[in-house]
Amino acid sequence: MSRRAPLRVVGQPVPRVDAVEKVTGRARYVTDLVLPGMAHAKILRSPYAHARVTRVDTARARARPGVIAALSGADLTWCDPYFGPAFRDRPVLAIDVARYEGEPVAAVAAVDELTAAEALDLIDVDYEPLPAVIALEEALAPGAPLVHTGEPLAGHFADLSTLRPEPGTNVCHRFQWARGDVAAALAGADLVLADTFRFPPVQHYAMEPHAALAAWDETGALTVWAGTQNPYSVRVELAKMFGVPLGRIRIVVPHLGGGFGSKTYAKLEPLTAALARATGRPVRLAASAAEAFQTVRRCSARVSVRVGLRRDGTLVGVTCDADYDVGAYADIGPRVVQKGTYTATGPYRVPHVALDARAVYTNTTPGGAFRGFGVPQLAWALESLLDVAADRLGRDPVDLRRQNLLAHGEEFAPGDTPIDGKLEESLGRAAEAIGWTQTGAADRGRGVAVMLKASIAPSVSEAIVRLHADGSVTVLASAVEMGQGTRTVLTQIAAEVLAVPVARVTVVPPDTAITPYDQTTSSSRSTTMTGRAVQMAAEDVREQLFRVAAEHLGVPARELALEDGAVVAATGRLAYPEVLAIRFGMSGGELIGRGVVAPGRTAAPLGGSTPFWEMAAGAAEVSVDEETGAVRVERYVSVADVGRAVNPLLLEGQDEGGVVQGLGHTLLEEMVYEEGHLLNGTLLAYRVPRADDVPRDLECRFVENADGSGPFGAKGAGEGSLIPVSPAVANALARLTGVRLRDLPLTPERVWRALRTRGSR
Amino acid sequence: MDASAAREPIRLVVNGRARDLAVEPHALLLDVLRDDLDLKGAKRSCDSQVCGACTVLVDGLAVSACTYLAVEADGRSILTVEGLAEGESLHPVQRAFVDAGAVQCGFCTPGMLLTTRALLDDNPAPTREDVLHYLRGSLCRCTGYRKIVEAILAAARARGQASAPARVE
Amino acid sequence: MLRPFALHRPRTAEEACELLARLGEDAAPYAGGTELLLLMKLGLLRPRHLVDVKRVAGFDDIADGARLTIGASVTHRTVERSAVVRARCPLLASVARHIANVRVRNVGTVGGNLAFADPHSDLATLFLALDASVELVSPRGRRELTLAEFVRGPWETARAADELLTSVRLAPWPASTAAAFVKFGVHERPTLGIAVALRLDGSGTGRARVVDARVVVGCVNPCPARAPGAEARLTGIALADLEDVAGEAAALAAASADTADDLHGSADYKREMVAVFVRRALRVAAARARGLPPGAGFPHAIIA
Repeated sequence: MSRRAPLRVVGQPVPRVDAVEKVTGRARYVTDLVLPGMAHAKILRSPYAHARVTRVDTARARARPGVIAALSGADLTWCDPYFGPAFRDRPVLAIDVARYEGEPVAAVAAVDELTAAEALDLIDVDYEPLPAVIALEEALAPGAPLVHTGEPLAGHFADLSTLRPEPGTNVCHRFQWARGDVAAALAGADLVLADTFRFPPVQHYAMEPHAALAAWDETGALTVWAGTQNPYSVRVELAKMFGVPLGRIRIVVPHLGGGFGSKTYAKLEPLTAALARATGRPVRLAASAAEAFQTVRRCSARVSVRVGLRRDGTLVGVTCDADYDVGAYADIGPRVVQKGTYTATGPYRVPHVALDARAVYTNTTPGGAFRGFGVPQLAWALESLLDVAADRLGRDPVDLRRQNLLAHGEEFAPGDTPIDGKLEESLGRAAEAIGWTQTGAADRGRGVAVMLKASIAPSVSEAIVRLHADGSVTVLASAVEMGQGTRTVLTQIAAEVLAVPVARVTVVPPDTAITPYDQTTSSSRSTTMTGRAVQMAAEDVREQLFRVAAEHLGVPARELALEDGAVVAATGRLAYPEVLAIRFGMSGGELIGRGVVAPGRTAAPLGGSTPFWEMAAGAAEVSVDEETGAVRVERYVSVADVGRAVNPLLLEGQDEGGVVQGLGHTLLEEMVYEEGHLLNGTLLAYRVPRADDVPRDLECRFVENADGSGPFGAKGAGEGSLIPVSPAVANALARLTGVRLRDLPLTPERVWRALRTRGSR
Repeated sequence: MDASAAREPIRLVVNGRARDLAVEPHALLLDVLRDDLDLKGAKRSCDSQVCGACTVLVDGLAVSACTYLAVEADGRSILTVEGLAEGESLHPVQRAFVDAGAVQCGFCTPGMLLTTRALLDDNPAPTREDVLHYLRGSLCRCTGYRKIVEAILAAARARGQASAPARVE
Repeated sequence: MLRPFALHRPRTAEEACELLARLGEDAAPYAGGTELLLLMKLGLLRPRHLVDVKRVAGFDDIADGARLTIGASVTHRTVERSAVVRARCPLLASVARHIANVRVRNVGTVGGNLAFADPHSDLATLFLALDASVELVSPRGRRELTLAEFVRGPWETARAADELLTSVRLAPWPASTAAAFVKFGVHERPTLGIAVALRLDGSGTGRARVVDARVVVGCVNPCPARAPGAEARLTGIALADLEDVAGEAAALAAASADTADDLHGSADYKREMVAVFVRRALRVAAARARGLPPGAGFPHAIIA
């Protein structure tokens, strides 16, 4: 039965359910956890970008009082030492060769951190440096030294079962996709433009560094308290690694101090579990923030885009050749490349397309998932080039985009979900909010950009909802709370369906022994997929309540409703405790509901149809200090098409954060390598945005047409605010100064140099 | 090695309560608070005084506990995030952060709250510029800062109203 | 996490120096620790003895006189709020307000900052414009060096291993001095710091003239350095002509800057920024001398 009553808690700016524990300092993160007898681990890392590791001698370390175990790659004979979601190419500790500066080569577990750190000094390692490839060009040059030789095993994801490495090269995956006849289309186009854009390697800098706490118990089962965004993926890795059934591996996730993709898929958990096994004690591995720079980063990219348009502004063809630097180990880089490239044409109708993307190994920190997942790199290119096209055609950039936007319900690609939102509404509202059609100040420029991104598909989320004898509710779901507010959103969904106050619902922290399977907390999917599973589970409980009440009240179920913790009918009202007492014949028992969201494989090009399209627009107004090149974003508007904002306060906070994080890679952030050595691997030299970098006017708005497949018409959000930032800012800068920059970040020096090349105005 | 690791007795008055400890000279205040006193609110993030996640107040002044010797706090009063609330009732600054939606992952939050407390004790009616000046050493990667700044200004207004109801804004 | 060390707390300078002499390379003077402890955490320094100078008598004093004397363990926060500093050298109070961040200012000291000789030090740049000298004490007695003699290069000073910096002495400018400090940069440490001071006579008569000039360029060189060419160009000009001369003076300062490529930028960019910000600092100073309201700031620049 469907409800016509207005929503009670969904759509409300409910204060987040974990706010009080966080403001009182009671919230627990992995490094706040202590187990009796816990040992502390430290990692010895390779100082070379590429080197043979010919000898690792841990004898002196092991002899030091207080050291319980010291491991090198050669010691890992009692487990499968390789892991990785796409390719199992990454050793827990380097085996025979170290492939990037910072790669773990040995590890120590000791009674305290100081002893462990001092023991690292006692480990002797012999390295034979090898030629390294750092830049994409080096890695792709014919005859380039290979980061990997031999054939790694494929990892565990359905959509990556079609991995296409190119043997004998550093290309670990190639994704190609085409439609129509792009050569002919471009040949016949009135305007063809091409250019190459670069997106830098950047660091997530979640405030909480990576950490894990592992303990094997007396039955040979393993528990890991992990700062991970996908406990189930970590579980699979560890099960494979130690040859233990999935059910004997338990991953528990307390609060995460930020993720942004840096904590997806196994990172430190395998090493921590190995140390726990070797020591026979719980082991906590708390990496430093500097070590995060040596663990994972965004895949940098070089993107060459070519667009063909008719004189009237219609896009006829797009080609995109993208090379992504995935670093020394593939991590989820191949999917970043594949999924990102899939939407290289952006939110536009393009009849003729040719896409060719490569995931390229280099001897640098592994590149993995980072908010946007390959799309920021491509949007940077396409949205910049479209503005150039508008300029050449004498067209307004907003207008040119509007003309080519995919319509609601239109097909993006055969077999995939049709466009489920109104792109023109996001673009229109962003343009209006920035005052696009009004004359701006002479020293300000405005620019826009639009994005489209698919969510991971196929994917699976399951949830359980338990209604207790007192009418309170527990939600079991494995979406990870990393600040985005999923715990609160799931609370609201369950509270809405079961008509109970938010305070009566508890969402249990993810624990693979208790909360059922959820594929990943990433891809903006949790509200839609996990949320839908929770909604279904709550509806299942509702149906059970109705069945019991219907029989008891002698009323058909369709005449029943839930209200205020009770089942209500025209003739009577039964509070939930009463319903349960009727059902079980006593005070006790519970109703358990289950929800499973598993759309399965489809004929869509990537093997699954996206559960929703994430779509958003951004508009920037900038000024520039021409003498220094410093760009200031004076105003920024983000408009995201979210279907339904389950919690508008949390959503606005998410998108404000996304915009500012986007300003990071747009203006400030870049990991700088020199001959394989990372020069700025700490906050002393790597600059993330501060409070005074935020535009004075920052607005994040939402389009809500209840047109999503998620609960109450919701779709995903959180990445759409970040993706348009760099092209919107660069477009604004170009409109203000006439200079077009192609490499991020737009540091003062880069802008200054471009302005000088342009000559004085 | 003759470098002495002998422990020194120190007395810290933490959140109003005197705590007697014996610490080694090289012990950092952050670790003593977290590991010896089980006050886990202060966090280790950048470990280099840039980010503010480890901020605690020593005699009312904000310090980076990650780079501050515990022995320096001997005889001093220390305020951590655990000392802000009065029993179950949130401090106005905590309440302001909750109401403004200025908390996401929460890892920067204890440091932000204590920095705010120090700011407002120093300057009860800060301008937005004053707030941004104070926040130059307090990083957040989740919120984009806007709601944090709003929360701080709201806390200042609430405090101003509470202490001087007749004051003209 | 720090490696173990012994902490010594001398009460007098003599005691402190005796400790340093005895312990040699194994010892480091320690005040606020904001630089020292960071390097120790990074493993770049491993002293087994720290000699805490904060309890040494007189080290935390600010003394007024013909010169302004600031003790080595005075914190940046104290400088910022000191009535004496605000009266005698208000620009110093402003500069101190913007050093690093509030937590570093609460704990970090003037002496530690100078003794550390980070090329990006705001204070070293400003102090050169104040004709600063430092006093050093050792078992051999006391000696005074100009700041330029003391700071030899990046993280390198003339301090002997058994010497202690006790105080810095500044020659405050007369009240009729137009001065400004501007720093610019995106990173945690500034890319560029400029201090300008123009001593005027006849100010208020509408015919003020620059009788003495200081132009100091910091951060881009191995050490902060005065720009004598720029100073000479400015000396003797009428304040009214500053706008016309500022560009030339700035170009002279840029030409004498010893820049190199690094994470802060390319050598040529930094050189050009010297010119830009000397010009801007001079304009700010001139506006202050005329009692005009401050102009708009510049992105990534702090004007003290």
